[in-house]
Amino acid sequence: MKIIVAIKQVPERDAPVRIDPAGTWIEESSLQFALNESDAYALEEALQLKEKHGGEVAVVSAGPERVGSTIREALAKGADRAVHILCDDLHSRDALGVARLLAAAIKPEQPDLVLSGLQSEDLGLGQTGVIVAELLGLPHATLILNVEKTETGVKVKRELEEGWFQSVELPLPAALSIQSGGNKLRYATLMGIKRAKTKEVRILTAAELGADSAPVVRMERIALPTKQKSTQMLDGSPKEAAAALLEKLKFEARVL
Amino acid sequence: MVFPLPTLAEPQHFSLAERVLFAALAVASVALFWRRFGPILRNILRSKQDADFHLFPAGKRIRDFAGEVLLQGKVIRQRPLAGFAHALVFWAFCAFALVSLNHCAALYGLGFLNPAGAVGRFYFYFAAVFALGCAVGIAGLFIRRFFVRPKWLGEELSWESGLIALLIFVLMASYLGAFFVPAASPAARILWWTHAITLLAFLPVIPQTKHLHLIFSPFTVFLSRGSFSRIPPLVGDEDFGLVAGRDLTRIVSLQAYSCVECGRCTEHCPANNTGKLLNPKEIVLGLRGYLNELGPASEVPLLGKHIAQQAAFQCTTCGACEFQCPVGIEHVPIIVGLRRGAVNTGAWDDEHGAKLFLALERGSNALGLGAAERDKFIEKNALPIFDGTQEYCLWLGCMGSHDPRGREIVLALVRVMHYLGTSFGVLRKERCTGDAVRRLGNDLLFQQLAEANLEALAQNKVTKMLSICPHCVRTIQEDWKEYGAPPAIEHHSEFLARHLAQLPRGGNQEQIVFHDPCYLGRYRGVYDEPRAVASRAGLLVEAPRHRERSFCCGAGGGLAFLGEEQGERVSHARAAELAATGAETVAAACPFCNSMFRDALAARGEGAPQLLDIAQLAARGLPEQGN
Repeated sequence: MKIIVAIKQVPERDAPVRIDPAGTWIEESSLQFALNESDAYALEEALQLKEKHGGEVAVVSAGPERVGSTIREALAKGADRAVHILCDDLHSRDALGVARLLAAAIKPEQPDLVLSGLQSEDLGLGQTGVIVAELLGLPHATLILNVEKTETGVKVKRELEEGWFQSVELPLPAALSIQSGGNKLRYATLMGIKRAKTKEVRILTAAELGADSAPVVRMERIALPTKQKSTQMLDGSPKEAAAALLEKLKFEARVL
Repeated sequence: MVFPLPTLAEPQHFSLAERVLFAALAVASVALFWRRFGPILRNILRSKQDADFHLFPAGKRIRDFAGEVLLQGKVIRQRPLAGFAHALVFWAFCAFALVSLNHCAALYGLGFLNPAGAVGRFYFYFAAVFALGCAVGIAGLFIRRFFVRPKWLGEELSWESGLIALLIFVLMASYLGAFFVPAASPAARILWWTHAITLLAFLPVIPQTKHLHLIFSPFTVFLSRGSFSRIPPLVGDEDFGLVAGRDLTRIVSLQAYSCVECGRCTEHCPANNTGKLLNPKEIVLGLRGYLNELGPASEVPLLGKHIAQQAAFQCTTCGACEFQCPVGIEHVPIIVGLRRGAVNTGAWDDEHGAKLFLALERGSNALGLGAAERDKFIEKNALPIFDGTQEYCLWLGCMGSHDPRGREIVLALVRVMHYLGTSFGVLRKERCTGDAVRRLGNDLLFQQLAEANLEALAQNKVTKMLSICPHCVRTIQEDWKEYGAPPAIEHHSEFLARHLAQLPRGGNQEQIVFHDPCYLGRYRGVYDEPRAVASRAGLLVEAPRHRERSFCCGAGGGLAFLGEEQGERVSHARAAELAATGAETVAAACPFCNSMFRDALAARGEGAPQLLDIAQLAARGLPEQGN
């Protein structure tokens, strides 16, 4: 089975985020970056499928040069080769623009499975994987916890709301977006990193892929959540105050 | 000059037949010896070279050799009775070198010590004193091994040990006996032959028993790694630690063959004492067994038949084994080496371990918490940010940044520093020093953490650092050296002890027992400073195991992150020991010890002593408004 995993490099989870002067993106200079969490699960699922059924796992990632470190991490964890779509304008592209890049890079590979993480930790749009599937004309499913190969295709477990699960069968080739938590992740090893040095990383540019970058959706402004702290004193007897508190917890704070 | 004392009897003449017989026996003895010793020596010499080994400066090597080998300092200090008995045997062996040489030479008329001459007479009496001591010593050791039987000597009775003891005893008895028979008597001849045959029988026994340490241990002590628990760097693209036989270095192989199986490592091992699989002696003997069976070029994994992976990952790296070892075996680099082999190749599959590694791959602290929490703590307590103008960079560490008790320790130290007027600042962002992943054998993560931190410290122009955590101190000062030049760092006990005179004497009659953290004591040699701080706050009492014999809290070596232990918890065993001193307060000097004892003492319920860091003891005497 030939599996392509689309991965994204995002700011490290506990990075101190500052808005850039233009107000449309965050300042990247002082940030550290890591592999997007659900992408790590997508990669893990791909590696486990390969270990069970053989084949090949390639990763594809779009972004500036710094993305190379995340690609190396994926290779260190066991991916066989990588495609790096070199572009500095990733954050000004919308989900369609990014998906066009990825789809153009994936198409000639003719994979059996395209896996992506459910959503990115920075923008959280949750669309890229689905659009890639549409652009490639592949059947697709989202919120996947687990993939099982059947004789005709794959059987996947989807996580629905409120503890419900759904089991779906798809023919191959297919595209799946993977939910975090379905597997135990493996850690990167020194041996993996050393072996990764000799693995192929093909560099492509947006121009080579012919993918249009004009966004349909334009980022207008981003903002940090404003901190709110307000104290209200509830008057009246303890009984009245308790009743008022209950009211507020139920209908204002909605925690009860 | 006439001595009223008897003279050593040597047969006057030896026949040709005797000379030929002895020569034949001697050749047979040496041949038998070499048949067994040759392959062992080849295993050591064919092991990989130690890339980081430097013979010079040799000052410490010579001191260690004189103290530990010649004077038997460690052997005696750590086990006085058995140790002294051993020293008597050792010294007698040294004194006997000339006697034995002369004994054989005399057969061919080449004797250089004349029993009747003044020099010979003096030397034979000199040796006789040692022989007497040796006979008493070996008899004592025999009784201990076969009748008293301390548990760390193992369950199996070793018949070779009995044989060796017998041979040594016969050697001494036959020598001493010769003082009481006339030189021309048949008895003198019988004694001479008894002595000679025992000597020749002794030689081939050496290489197949633990008595190899007679030959190797002086070298092992002299050729140590140079400092306590030193973890060697990995060299080249194919070095992942101790994966298979081909990764064993000469130092490791030499140490494996030097083990004398005395079991001191086992006796002091916190894991072994609380019902875990790990037995440091069996790790060393496992390596020896591997080498004997498969040799130093083998590709067969080291963790498997001879050493259990589970055992390697039960080690708290407390270093008690290494500190105790009388023949210079360095257990911690071996155990960490085995872990490196497993982790660097992905062979170690552990849920908690993977969680720790992933937390540090994606975040900055070992506890897996967000950096924003650290920022809030700094902001709320108005800790100054280091800007290059302050004297100290106060390193918070994962525990000082995030653990509630760790934070209290930091704040107590901050109060003291404010009171003293010492300027300091904290870094805006810290990453874990990598202590836990270093000891667990994840070199990839450790390198990333060390390099990122070194870069941040260099950018901030930090020159002096202070930390509440002995693990941070050790890792920054020693382990980071592999990737750059870390700034000077000291533990807060050293800082506090230096400024003790300027602090108010808040002492009372409260009894305080101080627990030596492994990474402060054995690793750093700091024992007196924290005691000076504690004894200013109350009456210092000692636990049965203290200073260099301190018993681990169970947190080291990354074990704080590895979930529930097999058997009894190490922290509970130690907390019971500390509580049994009757002290009202347990003083700790490490946030990891603190965290372990917090739970262990709480589990003891009512009447358990209170737990404070020495920084909190020092801050207790300060006026309410610290500055």
